[in-house]
Amino acid sequence: MDNQKIDMFLMTNAKYFESHRLPLIRERLLKMDDSKLLHIQTLNFKDPTMMLIVSLLAGTLGIDRFLIGDVGLGVAKLLTCGGLGIWAIVDWFLIMGATRDKNMEKLEIATASYSY
Amino acid sequence: MIESTEYHYKPHPEEQERATNSYLMSLVVVIFGMPLPIVNLLASVIYYLGNMKASSFVRWHCVQVMLTQLFLFFINSVGFIWLMFIIFGNWEFTNYFIAYVLILLAFNISELVGTILSVLIIKRGKHPKWWIFGDLTDIIMAEDEQEERVHG
Repeated sequence: MDNQKIDMFLMTNAKYFESHRLPLIRERLLKMDDSKLLHIQTLNFKDPTMMLIVSLLAGTLGIDRFLIGDVGLGVAKLLTCGGLGIWAIVDWFLIMGATRDKNMEKLEIATASYSY
Repeated sequence: MIESTEYHYKPHPEEQERATNSYLMSLVVVIFGMPLPIVNLLASVIYYLGNMKASSFVRWHCVQVMLTQLFLFFINSVGFIWLMFIIFGNWEFTNYFIAYVLILLAFNISELVGTILSVLIIKRGKHPKWWIFGDLTDIIMAEDEQEERVHG
């Protein structure tokens, strides 16, 4: 893939990933074909800041966990009323990292299926 | 009380943030955990479980927080149960209890100061090791660190 396009992708989406993973993402994208860029660009990454807001407002209902794709943990959090409030508080500190990890997983799956 | 050392690699800013969050989280939970000492311990365990896939630096600090909270849990629980017996039982309010509460407060305040200091040390890119708890964490995490050094 073209260097310029990769840089543009990284500039637009850097906030969705942990900064130390950006070189790895760049390396993965370089191996990919130009025609697959559209698929990567249409991936719906979750904003860590938005997830933090959701966690602060509706964390006890497990909505933050549902949104990032942890359905099992979301149900557990919902049924326990956010682990009696303790889990909900802990998630205020965990959710941004968890969101970035989920975004990375999503990108890894996409690059693995599109690269050859 | 706290030794500022170097970790075997330079942690990334995100790792530093996650490690400082483990200390900050224990501060926030104190507000909710005031009446029940186990709340702090549970919160630090949940935070550790949430960071199981994180780097060894983050996990090291999660374990250190867990150990300090475990120690405080025992100390605070004894004080809490003693107080309950004084209020609802027939136990007397003695000088021993006052002495115990003073010791309990000293430990809790030291933990609070230590937590804030640890956050500041991590923000400077260093690796804070608490007296006793740091060495215990080293023993617990030794295998983990060894594996990371070998596999990168």
